[in-house]
Amino acid sequence: MNAVQRFIRSKVLLLTAAILIAAMCLSVLVQSQSQAALNRTVDENSRGLYDVLVQAKAPSGALLQPEIANGTGGISFEQLDSIRKLSGTAVAAPISLVSRVTQNLEAPRLDAMDYLGYNAGLAGTATADQAAGATSPDKWPAAESVLSDTAKKYRLTASAVSSDGVSEQTLFKSTAEGTLGKAKLVEEKAAGGSSIRIAAPQGETGIKFPSPAGGSEHNLFNLSVSLPLAPEVTESVVAVDPAAERALLGTAGDFLAPLEKAPPADARNAGAVGRYLEGLFSNGIGLDELKDGPDFLGVKLKYWAPLMTQYQQAKRTGQLTADSQAIPLVVRSGTSLDLKYNVKIEEIDDSGKVINEVGTATRSLDKDYLPFVSKDPFALSWPGSTDHTSLLGANGNFNQGLYTPAKWSTDFASAPKYTDGETSANGAVDKNAVPGEWVTVNRLPEKSANGAPVDQTQREPVDERSYRDNLSNGQKQASPLAMVYGTFDPAAVAQAAGDVNKLPLGGYDPTPFTVVKDADGKDVKSTELKPSLSATGLASQSAGAITDYYGLAAARGYTDNASVIDAVRVRANAPGSWKEAQPDVEKLAAEIRDMGLEATIVAGSAREDTSIFVPGYSKDDAGKESNLGTVEQSWVRQNAAEAVTGSLSGTNITLLFLTLCGAALLTGASTVSYIRKRRSEAGTLRAMGWTQRRIRSWVLEEFGVGAVLLAVVGTVLSLISWSLSTALVCAAVLLLYVAAALFAAQQLRHRDVIDQEPQHDERLIPVDSPLTFANRQLGTQKFNTIALAVAVGVFGAAVGGLIALLIDIPRAAGASALSGLAAASVALPSILLALAGVVVGLVLTLVTGRFELNAKRQYLGILEAMGWNPDMLRQVRLFENALVGTVALPLGVLGALGIGLLLAPYAALWAGVAGLVAVLCWIPIATKVVQ
Amino acid sequence: MTNPTNVQRSRRGGSGEVPLQTRANTIVKAADHATPLELSDITIRYGGGKGGAEAVSVVEGFDLTLHAGEMHCVAGRSGSGKTSILTVGAGLTLPTSGRVFWEGDSLETMGDDEIADRRRALIGYVDQGGALIDGMSALENVLLPAVPDGEVEQRRDMAKDLLDLVGLGRRMRHRPAQLSGGERQRVAIARALILGTRVLVVDEPTASLDRASANRIISILKDTTSDGIAVLVASHDHELVRLSDSLTELI
Repeated sequence: MNAVQRFIRSKVLLLTAAILIAAMCLSVLVQSQSQAALNRTVDENSRGLYDVLVQAKAPSGALLQPEIANGTGGISFEQLDSIRKLSGTAVAAPISLVSRVTQNLEAPRLDAMDYLGYNAGLAGTATADQAAGATSPDKWPAAESVLSDTAKKYRLTASAVSSDGVSEQTLFKSTAEGTLGKAKLVEEKAAGGSSIRIAAPQGETGIKFPSPAGGSEHNLFNLSVSLPLAPEVTESVVAVDPAAERALLGTAGDFLAPLEKAPPADARNAGAVGRYLEGLFSNGIGLDELKDGPDFLGVKLKYWAPLMTQYQQAKRTGQLTADSQAIPLVVRSGTSLDLKYNVKIEEIDDSGKVINEVGTATRSLDKDYLPFVSKDPFALSWPGSTDHTSLLGANGNFNQGLYTPAKWSTDFASAPKYTDGETSANGAVDKNAVPGEWVTVNRLPEKSANGAPVDQTQREPVDERSYRDNLSNGQKQASPLAMVYGTFDPAAVAQAAGDVNKLPLGGYDPTPFTVVKDADGKDVKSTELKPSLSATGLASQSAGAITDYYGLAAARGYTDNASVIDAVRVRANAPGSWKEAQPDVEKLAAEIRDMGLEATIVAGSAREDTSIFVPGYSKDDAGKESNLGTVEQSWVRQNAAEAVTGSLSGTNITLLFLTLCGAALLTGASTVSYIRKRRSEAGTLRAMGWTQRRIRSWVLEEFGVGAVLLAVVGTVLSLISWSLSTALVCAAVLLLYVAAALFAAQQLRHRDVIDQEPQHDERLIPVDSPLTFANRQLGTQKFNTIALAVAVGVFGAAVGGLIALLIDIPRAAGASALSGLAAASVALPSILLALAGVVVGLVLTLVTGRFELNAKRQYLGILEAMGWNPDMLRQVRLFENALVGTVALPLGVLGALGIGLLLAPYAALWAGVAGLVAVLCWIPIATKVVQ
Repeated sequence: MTNPTNVQRSRRGGSGEVPLQTRANTIVKAADHATPLELSDITIRYGGGKGGAEAVSVVEGFDLTLHAGEMHCVAGRSGSGKTSILTVGAGLTLPTSGRVFWEGDSLETMGDDEIADRRRALIGYVDQGGALIDGMSALENVLLPAVPDGEVEQRRDMAKDLLDLVGLGRRMRHRPAQLSGGERQRVAIARALILGTRVLVVDEPTASLDRASANRIISILKDTTSDGIAVLVASHDHELVRLSDSLTELI
């Protein structure tokens, strides 16, 4: 029988070679698949819309605050041009916070359906040829009303409520009483014929809230009650270069196309534009033009009415000057501001006692709301009402729009301030918000839309904490007028910016805060902090409008070439992944720094959730301040890509090392098994006259077959993976195998020792029970016992390592969002490796368990023949395994802890617990298997 | 055993208690049943399972009634089924068919625990080669059957007496690896007798032993029968066959 045949016959050697080959293959899996997946994930997610963020002032630390559009400026247009002229620049897109714009929502009203049916004298325009879509007179429904024929007394309670997601605040609550009833048509004779009018029922007093709210009046379809003014709402406006922004955002930036076509600064005089539109209206305008908006220098101005009406209002109040500019805006669709208007309606008797709860009419600012455009955000409807106004058909959009000119200012515009808190072991940094001044919001305007003074007593203003600073303004600006060119969807912009490499832009694309702990530090259900009423607080919503830099100059009163650019986002002229583009990006950043600007490389960065403690958030009526608690916000970790790659590569190498350790242990166990099996064979050969050297050669030849096999596989694997690590692993495995061969050859020498002295040690515990019997057996077979205990310990440690990986590999890789993605990409091979470790541990227990299986079978048979019953035999097996488990326990737990600390420090404790449980579980399982 | 007179007969009392005997009187319990072991129409067949191996019938229709004080020898060539009959008789394996009676009670009606308990009280089994537990001295090996009943300490003197009886009084602290084949066989016989067995089942006690050692074993076995112990022995040793009270020769 030649060496190859002997090698194949020896199952132990075959098993050893197979295990080592598996270890080498796993190393290839780790090195080629896992590492490649890691690199791919990092590359794909480390390069966003732009590579370099240019600011006038350097951000401190490796963690970037998300709000970079904060109105502080510092970069001039000349510097922007210089950046654009650099050969490595593909796109340089400037951005600035322009202003905070405060505007009062126009008069809210409550409409109670009071439809009197078709009447030619009242319907007016309700004929098919006068209004598009008007209902033919013969198809008007029968009259209906939610009011009674005789006037009843009602109490209306109007209130406005706002919530920041954590607490709800009632902004005002106002009550008015009076009688309301169903109107009727009154035909009166007049000179030359008769007239028809709508008259209130007899005895109706109507209902009137304090001024400037008017009273109630009947019209064609409704009884309309004027309600107290809604709170003022503040929006932010940012400036971009539309062409550069579109180049940056791609198709997601198409909403900026109308802004790109906006007229130059010298064609934006508010008076001239207002007069043009006013003249257009005076000279007559077609319905189609009314619907789509008139053509203004090549752009259809769908939302032209606000500009015209605000122009008229400003002219009347004297705000409009010769320098006033019309500012082109693309406005945000919808709002995330939580503002709800409620009107509770109760029928009461003369004594004021409630005799019928009619219901509550409610309306919130929502997706329908457009900054600068919405006229009737709070037109509430009496419960049970039907809207019959559509019977008159579409009446165009002339009536839409906010009549009162907005108030533009830079109060509380810049980004919130934070100070550093604790830093976690995984790199996450805590922050503390720095409270600013108390700001009075929810004010009433001094004058209403018709110029009448407003009764300031009808609601109290609200104090709100600001976490932002005022900005110094330029020259005093002439009152600007909003000229709306279109709308944009903030969610679409956020999506275009991507997730991993997203560097939010403050007012343009703010990062939400999520409340995670209350003021006492207790965990609370995660709640997103909604923008406050005035948007001067901690959280703000997406920009209410986007304009260009001419708009910024007009709103802020700056002249040309002022340093008003907050930041420039630069995309390098370098295609490919982050790693491929990195040299070019770094070169470009260096060139920008040479201009005296700060250039932060954001490619290779990633989001990272930062915990921020927010003190002094609110105060009660007594003036006592309360903390908000802890919020989380995504900041940006610089160089996250390199950190994640380094960390997870380290994890891979650690796993590889552990795999090798497992393979080494298994090789040791199988080698010992081989020696035991071959010892008698070696004795026979020796008896046949073989020399020690010949026997050694005979053994080494068998091992040599395995070594050649391993060398071939190792060479092939190294060539396929072309990785130094794989080559090193293969070499280490081969070395391990050769060492095992030499050890085996050495151990197969003759070593019988004749010893006839009594060997029984009286200090041994007497055998008088299954437990003491098991103890004696394990004590007799010390090597086997320790080998088995080591195997069980390795098994426990491997299970612990696997659990640690499952629990904590993302956190071990760092705190950024990229680390989570990257960890997910390498999780499968890592878990496979850890599972392989578990399998190695199990195989180890089987191999070492086989050492004494024959002896175990023999003595269990002897005990059975002596009349030990099955229960006692089971006890023997259980006690044996329990004792082995006791020895294995520290090894398993400490091993699991060690692996946990190496791979996933935050889950080390869980790893230890898992190791403990695994060893404890092994005891009954092994007891059953031995049976 | 050179002096059979050292072992005296003693019948167990009707109380059923296990009497602790001193060296001066006896170390065994006398048989109280005329036929402690009976095998009826035993057939033992191996193979023929799922593996497709052809079934081999080792023993067919074997009957045996073993009387107290009788030494019955089962002889035959290797593979003829001698050990199989012994393991069936000792209740260690179940026959393919047929019935085994211990003191008139069929094993078919007993559970595993009851068989184990009855075996401990009735049968002493000596494996081929005298299998002992490694790591335990000769004395501890002899005392092992007393562990289940918690009588290790009570039986310690008796175990020493037995080891003296089989000529190993000076080797009681030696471990199996330090004993010769014949010595291990004698320790195994002493172990089989420790609980006052009534049936000694011995498998090839003299195989691979020299003549002198074999004769010593045979002498011990023969002496036990004089105490009313029934001996069922498998062997092809001519001397053992010659001294047996009855013989079954397997073909």
